[in-house]
Amino acid sequence: MRRIVATLTLSVALLWLAPARSASFQIAAQTPAAASAAQAELPNREGTLKFAVLGDFGTGSREQYEVGTQMAKVHERFPFELVITVGDNLYGSQQPKDFQTKFELPYKGLLDANVKFYASLGNHDEREVQRFYQLFNMDGKLYYTFKAPKQSVRFFALDSTYADPSQSAWLEKELDAAGEDWKIPYFHHPLYSSGERHGSTPTLRSAWEPMFVKYGVSVVFAGHDHFYERIKPQQDIVHFVTGSGGQLRKGNIDERTGLTASGFDTDRAFLVAEIDKDELYFNVVSRLGRVVDSGIIQRRKR
Amino acid sequence: MAGTALALTVTMLLASPAGFRGAQSPPAVAQDDPAHRVNRDARVMAEFEERIKAYVSLRRELEGTLPALPKDPTQQQINAHRMALVALIAKTRAKALPGDIFTKETRALFRRYLARVFDGPQGRELRASIMDENPGRLRLHINTRYPESVPVASVPPQVLQALPRLPGDLEYRFIGNRLLLHDVRAQIIVDFFDDAIDA
Repeated sequence: MRRIVATLTLSVALLWLAPARSASFQIAAQTPAAASAAQAELPNREGTLKFAVLGDFGTGSREQYEVGTQMAKVHERFPFELVITVGDNLYGSQQPKDFQTKFELPYKGLLDANVKFYASLGNHDEREVQRFYQLFNMDGKLYYTFKAPKQSVRFFALDSTYADPSQSAWLEKELDAAGEDWKIPYFHHPLYSSGERHGSTPTLRSAWEPMFVKYGVSVVFAGHDHFYERIKPQQDIVHFVTGSGGQLRKGNIDERTGLTASGFDTDRAFLVAEIDKDELYFNVVSRLGRVVDSGIIQRRKR
Repeated sequence: MAGTALALTVTMLLASPAGFRGAQSPPAVAQDDPAHRVNRDARVMAEFEERIKAYVSLRRELEGTLPALPKDPTQQQINAHRMALVALIAKTRAKALPGDIFTKETRALFRRYLARVFDGPQGRELRASIMDENPGRLRLHINTRYPESVPVASVPPQVLQALPRLPGDLEYRFIGNRLLLHDVRAQIIVDFFDDAIDA
């Protein structure tokens, strides 16, 4: 596990949560050794938006099921109402039975609790099958936007595998029209990543990042590289790579990129977040229930 | 009436590229007359777009002969509908060959367009993006499914900007350095050609 202290920038401040900040919720008993003094907490307040982020998960493996069990455990104490997926929702065969063994069963606890999943698609996902799958809530679209049920938040699920000009035009129009305080894009290929296997996607970055900057995006979620990484703020935006929901590429974070604010590449993980007005609190939880990263992101103001 | 339209569409699709071009080409004399000089690239592009339209029209006609999917179809129903559509397309386009849509002239034009992008300042990044988890050299057949369980290579926005825009249900895909025309609705390979970009 690697951990690098975050850098503070002009308008995005990342702060470690102090134990005294809130007493209402604690999702793990112990934080990693490097941050042993901190007990990572989320406020778990009434009326906030609570959500989870999951990527690169649909393997059907024992580890995927264990992550699903851990998510359900967290949900018992921190009742997030939705999960956004950053793609590679199913690997390999994607017949109807695979949707059961690689999605419905691993997350049965969440689905039974009426947690809604909003999928974006990765390069392993069969687009024509998944976009019509009811439990992915894509409504037949490859890219779409939706308003969160609480707080002033709008999500943008994008298709990074086929980023055609019409999608970029749509994105610009929707970002411009969005009146919400938080505009949160999520998709598969990371604009920034320290993955030795894949790494950053500069071609996509040059197309989308200017829009994210222009329209006041504060945080972006992606996957593709099979680990967890929080990137040092780029253009005042915090990028997360959350690609270890089922897959894992051990030791794949290359710190020489200088991009890593915090990383975890020794086990699977998912992220839970809470938005309360201008603050986004996050915890990253490993398959075994340890909090491996946490912090607060202040919303950028346009 | 629908049958006549279908027959016409099929005829257009199966017509040889030379025959198709012949029907659209201006008289030979025009090429020699500077006042009537033809923009060859524009003509090749217009013909490509006509063939795309003809394919989409055919697919729509064929799908129209199938029972409509219910409002909230199950995965099984979607699968069965797609399989029935693929069977109809395969039967109707039984004689389709690589190069029917990506004709020789289209291929040459596309290679030129792509070379311009890949020889540019982002060329290396674009190539890396396309080759990231690219499934590499696979045996491909027209009217058959895009290889199952194989990841798709991403197509960067800069590449899509350089190529003619396709209707929503068709996409460009790379397998190795081959460029495919992929019908996402039926999930089949409509056409492909080799060496679209330098390896």
